Amino acid sequence: MNLEAFQNRVLPAKNKLFRFAFRMLGSSEEAKDVVQEVMIKVWNGREQMAEVQNMEAWCMRITKNLSLDKLRSRQRRATDSIDEGFEVRQEALSPHENTELNESMLRINQLIAALPEKQRQVIHLRDIEGYSYNEICEMLELDMSQVKVSLFRARNAVREKLVKMNAYGL
Amino acid sequence: MDSKQLEQLLEKYWNTETSLEEEQQLRDFFRGENIPDGMKETAELLRYFDHQKKVQIKEPSFDGDVVRKINATRPAAKSVKMYYNYARIAAGVAVVIAATYFVGQEVRKSYPAEVSDTYSDPKLAFEETKKALMMLSKGFGKARHETEKIKLFNEAEQKVQSKHSVKEKETTI
Repeated sequence: MNLEAFQNRVLPAKNKLFRFAFRMLGSSEEAKDVVQEVMIKVWNGREQMAEVQNMEAWCMRITKNLSLDKLRSRQRRATDSIDEGFEVRQEALSPHENTELNESMLRINQLIAALPEKQRQVIHLRDIEGYSYNEICEMLELDMSQVKVSLFRARNAVREKLVKMNAYGL
Repeated sequence: MDSKQLEQLLEKYWNTETSLEEEQQLRDFFRGENIPDGMKETAELLRYFDHQKKVQIKEPSFDGDVVRKINATRPAAKSVKMYYNYARIAAGVAVVIAATYFVGQEVRKSYPAEVSDTYSDPKLAFEETKKALMMLSKGFGKARHETEKIKLFNEAEQKVQSKHSVKEKETTI
């Protein structure tokens, strides 16, 4: 793969990778770092990438693994407080971003952030990015039933909580 | 899409049975204004998904940064590999040199060092040689003194023997 092919085939995936890393990490700075690392990894391993059929799924898989590494090192740094680490802290949004997201969207953001990791990954890849189940299996290294169960739980958990919130005006 | 169709589609959606196309249909529908009663939450959720797809990396310099980093890492990776190869050869050579040195040292230790000339001043050397020769001659002198005693014995023995033989002769006569 030469630089031109890289710029045409890999770089355009940057926003999808960024959104996924951001979903996992809750920090746009860290997510950006992860995407950059992914790009460099893909470039350095471009010889072996010749056999890779679905480049985007491959990149997404690297993004997932690097994000998990980041979460783990964050957890290691926060050994004294158990609350931190794997829990995704959604960063404070700038006033500009805040007006973009209305109140209900902010609530959904928090609901998804509170989901278990696997469910959060699956609902993001399916409902936001629109990937097929096969692609999600490849990206997350899970089998079909695990993906479907996670998606089922994630969708229904978010829906139930939303209904409750609206009913009680929370 | 009529309300019955919509309800069926939604049920499939919550049971994770919808295809990607059907999910797109749902998103398209809920983007509109006429949201049926009791579907407020679904509309919120699907609009949220729609909205999230627009999140992007804001920095316009991102692509340029990546390309620059790629160009920076490429030669580095190669030189690191080359460096490793050279380091391996150098390590091998170092081991051989060290081994030769230590083995040599062991061999030298097991053979006694040769006696080397310790005197550089000829006068001193002469004196030392004289001293050594004197010691030798003293030894010889002592030995001569001792042998003189033995000589005395020998003479005495010879005298006794000769007297004895004279006596024998006399008796035989």
